[in-house]
Amino acid sequence: MASSSQFKQLEKLGNGTYATVYKGLNKTTGIYVALKEVKLDSEEGTPSTAVREISLMKELKHENIVRLYDVIHTENKLTLVFEFMDNDLKKYMDSRIVGNTPYGFEMSLVKYFEWQLLQGVAFCHENRILHRDLKPQNLLINNKGQLKLGDFGLARAFGIPVNTFSSEVVTLWYRAPDVLMGSRTYSTSIDIWSCGCILAEMITGRPLFPGTNDEEQLKLIFETMGTPTERTWPGVSTLPKYNPRLPQHLPKDLGALLQSQTREKMELTLIDLLYGLLQLNPDRRLSAKQALNHPWFAEYYQ
Amino acid sequence: MTTTPKPSNGADAKAKEQGSLRVTDDDLYRHSSQYRVWSFTPEQLTQRRAEVNARATAKIEQNLRAFRETHLALTAEELAAIEEKAVPVSTEEELLLVSYFARMILSFAGKMNLPTEVAATAVSFFRKFYLSNSVSEISPKEVFHTALFFSCKSENYFIGVESFAKKAKTNPSAVLKHEFKLLESLNFTLMNHHPYKALHGFFLDIQSVLAGKVDMNYMGQVYTDCKKIITDALLTDAVYFYSPPQITLAALLIADEALTMRYLQMKFMITEEGPTENSQGEKQDSKEGASISIPGQKLLEIIKECKEIISNKVAPPKEDAVKVTAKIHYSQNPLTVLDRLKRQRESNSTGATPGQTPIPEDSQTKRPKTDGATN
Repeated sequence: MASSSQFKQLEKLGNGTYATVYKGLNKTTGIYVALKEVKLDSEEGTPSTAVREISLMKELKHENIVRLYDVIHTENKLTLVFEFMDNDLKKYMDSRIVGNTPYGFEMSLVKYFEWQLLQGVAFCHENRILHRDLKPQNLLINNKGQLKLGDFGLARAFGIPVNTFSSEVVTLWYRAPDVLMGSRTYSTSIDIWSCGCILAEMITGRPLFPGTNDEEQLKLIFETMGTPTERTWPGVSTLPKYNPRLPQHLPKDLGALLQSQTREKMELTLIDLLYGLLQLNPDRRLSAKQALNHPWFAEYYQ
Repeated sequence: MTTTPKPSNGADAKAKEQGSLRVTDDDLYRHSSQYRVWSFTPEQLTQRRAEVNARATAKIEQNLRAFRETHLALTAEELAAIEEKAVPVSTEEELLLVSYFARMILSFAGKMNLPTEVAATAVSFFRKFYLSNSVSEISPKEVFHTALFFSCKSENYFIGVESFAKKAKTNPSAVLKHEFKLLESLNFTLMNHHPYKALHGFFLDIQSVLAGKVDMNYMGQVYTDCKKIITDALLTDAVYFYSPPQITLAALLIADEALTMRYLQMKFMITEEGPTENSQGEKQDSKEGASISIPGQKLLEIIKECKEIISNKVAPPKEDAVKVTAKIHYSQNPLTVLDRLKRQRESNSTGATPGQTPIPEDSQTKRPKTDGATN
């Protein structure tokens, strides 16, 4: 059990879902850490988000998931001591904007990051845990090019099937269409959609579906991926927020669309993987394990 | 606190045997904190409890010595009373009190209509708490609400502390008082795997393995019985020695031995007498079972061991819990022993009925209550 005096608090790194994160230095070991401070002045004691994050992080030990080293208690706050990561994917992408023009990553880096992202997600899913809030801000990276999943404040363990989840999870841009339409039985497929959005964003440097509200978010998705019908997605019309009067769009050529925003040539297998991750119908989306076995990643597993 | 050493061959061997049953699930279990941190051999568990008790006992005895040194005018009778009454509780007495309150958590959770898993996790939290703390250091009465409320949080069952406290007839600050101590005592490992989930799985599998041979209504009854047996098992030490599916199979064995044996026989080619080899010309339909290379006989032994443990229902009577609570009180407040002695003397001299209650009634010492808010 560490004590707070063991750590020197350095600059603020950002705000998590329920806490403030600082860079810290472990004075005994000289190792940098991320200190996630959770205020306890709420009437409810330890916030349940923190309880959940602690509970899950103690079970998830994987090289693509940020490590929780310790928890420290001082009068009115709880500090979660995490492995320190130099940067997050959002900031890293922002740093590559030249003037007003965003640039995607080199394709080899896109592949390496997506591979690690899917490794982390596959491990969560194997452990029956949904992250539910995958977005570039929550993907931490370090100078060695490692990528790790962070911020499990919204994550939860699931049995099968998962029911009665609130739909108010996952930042809008990375939210799956089934969730947007009010599906309450979503499962691992919710994280896979996010992985698809993030993959596209790493290629172009621009968010794939930057909606400002639920309605616009769905509109953006359908404009590109096509409006779903009972034929392409059996059961879609029974979803709580399904709108039968939606304008009918035909699917666009996603490959061509993304290719126009990047200079590097996109492989056909990459486009195929994108379609696998961004299936409107959650049942048809690839699993993390399947995605890792996709030919686009052949160089890693062969 | 350091991680408890993994149980030696016992649980490891069990895990290995199960490994061939369903590799992935078992691998998952071995990576879980429940296995890594909270699995013990009986010897390790006994030692852990003994250490907790020894630490608290040493503290109490030190205080009692200090008391005698500062109260030099005590009569021989008074000293004898203190000698007799102000005694630290034993490991067994600690365990009894913990079990008593653990059962109370279950009845509370029932009254509050909390989900089974929430109740089960609360019991697990509470019992683990007393593997690092002694009942004479922190009273179970102060922790059992905390365990239940904290379990709601960790099992994702939202309930506000205000409404929880109201339902539990206590107040929010009392519920939250030891929350961090609990989190810390749990070594921040909160994920619990209970045998109920395995019950569901076995229930479905029994129906498929014994398809057409079991009555569905009857199976429903077995399921309900098993659920109760599992809940009782959560109060035993089986949870530290066996994996959740092992406990489930043991519960099934208690609920209906014939059915369970038939299932195990079909599934793992085992019989009461010994392994059924293919050479014995066993039925052809057990081919599926033969493909599973689990040493069935060994599995059966483990389940039977487990059954022995969970067959002994842990339900200490209230009187015993009251006695232990009183003992803790006297050992911590030797002055109350003298008060009691004085009262007894007075009532004897006035010819009134001698005070039979071991609990002091005077206003300055708070009456220790074990019945908490049971009513």
